[in-house]
Amino acid sequence: MNTIKGLLLKDLYVFRNFKGNIIFSAFMFIFLITIGSIRMDMFTVGSILFLIFFGMNSISSFSYDENADLDKYLLSLPITKKEIVLSKYLFVFLNSFISILVGILVSFIITILVKGKVGNIGDSLRICFIAFTSVSFLMCANVPCIYKWGVEKGRMQSVIIPALFIFLLGIFGSLLLLLFPQIYLNIDLLYVFKISPYICLILNILFYIISYLISYKIFLNKSI
Amino acid sequence: MEYNLEVINLTKNYQDFHLQQINIKLPKGKIIGLIGENGSGKTTTIKSILNLMTYDKGNIKIFGKDSRNLTKQEREKIGVVLDDSFFSPILNVNDINKLMKDFYSNWNEKFYYETIKKFKIPDNKPLKEFSSGMKMKIKVLCAIAHEPKLLILDEPTNGLDPIFRYEIVELFNNFVSNGENSILMTTHITSDLEHLADEVIFINDGNIILDVLKDKIDSEYGIVELLENNFNNIKKEDYLKCLKYKNEWYILVNPKYEFQKKYPKLKVRKPNLEELMLLLVKGE
Repeated sequence: MNTIKGLLLKDLYVFRNFKGNIIFSAFMFIFLITIGSIRMDMFTVGSILFLIFFGMNSISSFSYDENADLDKYLLSLPITKKEIVLSKYLFVFLNSFISILVGILVSFIITILVKGKVGNIGDSLRICFIAFTSVSFLMCANVPCIYKWGVEKGRMQSVIIPALFIFLLGIFGSLLLLLFPQIYLNIDLLYVFKISPYICLILNILFYIISYLISYKIFLNKSI
Repeated sequence: MEYNLEVINLTKNYQDFHLQQINIKLPKGKIIGLIGENGSGKTTTIKSILNLMTYDKGNIKIFGKDSRNLTKQEREKIGVVLDDSFFSPILNVNDINKLMKDFYSNWNEKFYYETIKKFKIPDNKPLKEFSSGMKMKIKVLCAIAHEPKLLILDEPTNGLDPIFRYEIVELFNNFVSNGENSILMTTHITSDLEHLADEVIFINDGNIILDVLKDKIDSEYGIVELLENNFNNIKKEDYLKCLKYKNEWYILVNPKYEFQKKYPKLKVRKPNLEELMLLLVKGE
């Protein structure tokens, strides 16, 4: 457990390097959320802004590790490949989770201060959870690419692979609708939206487990 | 004799390079220096020992156990310096101390900070602002501050000034003085090994071309410097290798007392490791 803590701490130190940027961006977002909340009483946009900007920053920790050829050094210490991969996924998850949590809190407070009230909290939280799941999907598609090709070489694949997956999913959905149009008629979208947190929870768990297993297998067979 | 490290018939084949039948036996309390040209196979050997890469044949034992099956506690008894790999340069020595405390159960924080002070390493600057010598000091310190029994060092004196090289040689000598600890180090600064190594292994093109005790080099090997006409009088079977450099011939002889008996008028001197390496690799 201490090893994982140390590995997480190591990734966290990377953020210290651009704390100026983080603080500046946070203030900029707070300003944008304040302006936005004059017209809207939902806190989704600000939360998603925080999630996308800060939550996806965890990729830079891979970049710093790669530049220092750190994996080689870590594996010469009493640290296993499993612990390295696990700590990365924990870092990616915690980073996204904390980003959206902070985003929700900040947006919520600002909306209350500016508008005096917030709209449907349940719906806003559902939208945030859907956004969180989308980011999880992107990150979980990116990490195995980084383990396979590295941050720089894997940049293109990190974009192509999730895009291809979404494209194929779109084609599959379209074909399904063409062949069985009654499915579309029978879907109660409001009900789907209502149960979306459960769907998102299952998807998040699936994304992280599948992605972790793929990354671990790649890393296990990799000569350092 | 008890060994902290045994490499038995280590073989690794790449498309354009073959590491062949590498054998190293590192007893407790001893230091072995692994030397050779760049690309000779030193790093491949080190990486195989540290399980950073797979190998095709052979066996590697650390503390008498297959290196691939070491427990976490056993791996904690190994200290490592890698020439080209370390923590991110944005970290400072305090950050590194916090991380190492989490990685090693017996991390000696007191020793770490005492040595930081002794080496005059600034504790608030990131590594990227350090000279290469300073960085190497931190790497060496990280390798020994958890009180290991085996040190595996890849070019540990790279980029160091002569004063710190002297300090580090002292540090390594103290490390093995208890008779239990051992060091395997690669270096291309062969002069460091003159004062440090008990045994020297030369690797060339993936093969061990010489594995000899340091004392034996001093007592049995000799170098003779000759002008062209004197060189022509020496029989080929009386020397191991010869090399012409700036109108002079350098010949490597072994055993030197036999050569001296045959050619009493010629002066035979002790070779240093650099000359030995040069003659073995480049000599005819």
